[in-house]
Amino acid sequence: MSANASARAVGIEPGLRLTDAKATLPDLLSEEIDRTADLKALTALAAWMVRFSPLVALDGEDGLMMETTGCDHLFGGEAALVAGMSHRLVQAGHGHRIAMAGTPGAAHALARGTGLGEPPVLPSGREAEGLAHLPMATLRLSPEALTLLRRFGLTRIGQLYEIDRKALTRRFRSRQAADAVCLRLDQALGRRAEPFAPLRPPPEHVERLPCPEPLTSSEGIGDGLQQLTEKLCSALAVQGLGAQGFMFSAFRSDGGTSTVTVNAARPVRTPDHVLRLFREKISRIDAGFGIDLLMLEASRTGPMAPGSRPLSGDLAGTGFDAEAVSGLADRITARLGEGSVILTVRDARHPPDKAERQIAYAGQVPEVEAAPILGPRPVRMLNRPEQVSVMAQVPDGPPLQFVWRRRLRKVVRADGPERIAPEWWTYLPPAPGERGRLPRTRDYYRIEDSDGRRYWVFREGLYGDDRGMDPEWFVQGLFA
Amino acid sequence: MDFATLKAKGLVRTAMAPPAVRAEFPFGLGEPGLHEIAESAYGDRAAATGFLLAAIGQGVCGAWVWVRQTSIVLDTGEVPEAALPGLASRLRLTVQVRNAQAGLWAAEEAVVSGAANLVIAEVEQSDFTSSRRLTLASTRHGVPVVLVLPYSCEGATAAASRWRLASRPSAPNRHDPHAPGHPRWQAVIERCRAAPSATGQTFDLEWNDETLSLSVVSGLAAGPAAPPAATDENRFRLRAG
Repeated sequence: MSANASARAVGIEPGLRLTDAKATLPDLLSEEIDRTADLKALTALAAWMVRFSPLVALDGEDGLMMETTGCDHLFGGEAALVAGMSHRLVQAGHGHRIAMAGTPGAAHALARGTGLGEPPVLPSGREAEGLAHLPMATLRLSPEALTLLRRFGLTRIGQLYEIDRKALTRRFRSRQAADAVCLRLDQALGRRAEPFAPLRPPPEHVERLPCPEPLTSSEGIGDGLQQLTEKLCSALAVQGLGAQGFMFSAFRSDGGTSTVTVNAARPVRTPDHVLRLFREKISRIDAGFGIDLLMLEASRTGPMAPGSRPLSGDLAGTGFDAEAVSGLADRITARLGEGSVILTVRDARHPPDKAERQIAYAGQVPEVEAAPILGPRPVRMLNRPEQVSVMAQVPDGPPLQFVWRRRLRKVVRADGPERIAPEWWTYLPPAPGERGRLPRTRDYYRIEDSDGRRYWVFREGLYGDDRGMDPEWFVQGLFA
Repeated sequence: MDFATLKAKGLVRTAMAPPAVRAEFPFGLGEPGLHEIAESAYGDRAAATGFLLAAIGQGVCGAWVWVRQTSIVLDTGEVPEAALPGLASRLRLTVQVRNAQAGLWAAEEAVVSGAANLVIAEVEQSDFTSSRRLTLASTRHGVPVVLVLPYSCEGATAAASRWRLASRPSAPNRHDPHAPGHPRWQAVIERCRAAPSATGQTFDLEWNDETLSLSVVSGLAAGPAAPPAATDENRFRLRAG
């Protein structure tokens, strides 16, 4: 059970049973803890805290851990950073406790253990001194270990300093339990390293633009984005890099964040291009009551060869300007969504409907070795073969009449068959006692009906091939 | 100051007359400008596609941008890479769009980007404003744009020409009288800015996919051509084959 400030004022402490608490205060208001919603809110808060430092991690169920190395100078020192953070959180209506220390363990203990009046910043190197008077419970130990330590009369972290490690280990039931206590102590004191797992990977390049007056207009946001993009792109150019992902975040003063992302098919660093990609999405930024910080991050950076354009199309090996094509694909994708730009590549497969594959354009044009086209191929291929009912037919010959899309079509002329064998290696043998569908050969005919329309039809299977029912007819494509 | 100096300083320039579009078949199809190719009835899309590829597709290398609306692909399928000419020197970028408006936007974007050498858009409808925008973009950037439209498309357009395509019975096959021969289409030019007098003219076309030639054939408008009676020569071939 958790308790808020007013409950604690009447002596209801966290960890008490609900029944006992109700006995203390009969008209106590209680609610089931919703851990999922808590986690969601905490994650949203973590996304917003990115404004102070890019490295934010969740710390347990109710805390955030931030790595602020190198960020404090942006706010005028560590104390000012903590004060600013606290001010913002109060504005956003979050009750909080902040502490800053040289190690994650020490910061965790300080945030939970210090009284209200104490300064929240513990200078690096003075962890042992700063933590000595804090309760043992702030050291991130397991409940069993805490109980055991309490039984020995060890309630303050400082009491652990003098105890011999070997003596301590002997008191615990297992070596692992004792090691866990030592590990937590060492981590808090900075004797052992502690990995830090931020919620999202740190951006490789970031530009920030604090606004003295909260922005509410879309023009202001657009101007800010332009400034940021120019700065970021020149920073990328200095290193000879381009980026494929750009994330623009706007931090509202009331504690909300809105973010838009754009992606490029190949690394880019032209401000105009990036701005054009953002133009489609910038309206999604919700200004709310005002935005006081804009941030632009570049991710998936890669080297960019400063290529020169061929003077004429004949000199270019491929015959098209790969950079311009990629830029066009980016703009279309930004507006119409991922996967709108498609490349068709030939595949060395037998069935005509599988001889081509559509892949989303991703900056490169894959080199695919294709099988030569053997027979006449239609100008339009249906997405999947459509079954037709054949009225009159001769075995092993083209149909004389057939119904496709509810219309009877009389075949006037026909050519074929072009026999295409199935890919027997893609079929699995049926399980014993089961009649699986065996691959059937296809006979393709080029036919023309009395209206002058030309179709590509096929018969799946042969009469008397002993592989299922009578063969069926399908329309595969339309000839010009 | 003489004329040459003025011209060198950029103070005067000679009027640049737009290159005259040839007032004969195919009336500028495949040259910069917007052209429309429409089906004449439901089911003629294959003919329209065939005419499009035959009339302009042969010489164009570089990047093609092919915009297509999903509903059209679901109905009449897609144009496979195998049917397109010039496999080695060409890259086809397909843009799949949900509605005609997005399709026309994508087509204009492709023209303006300078990346495309040919833009083809298969959309369900187009209006006068979009066709005017595409015409201006196309002439300014020198990229041919072709809209392939369904039979229901009748309205006003700013395009340089609008063709209406219908399938016709194919040419007689020299080798096998029972097989379809070279495809034939009937193309009616409904609108033509370059030659208004040509409006309404009907062309019966035959496409030879071996010599890659599109030729006008005569005397086809009246019904299907009867395949010639099998001669001794091809009768012999049939028996032998």
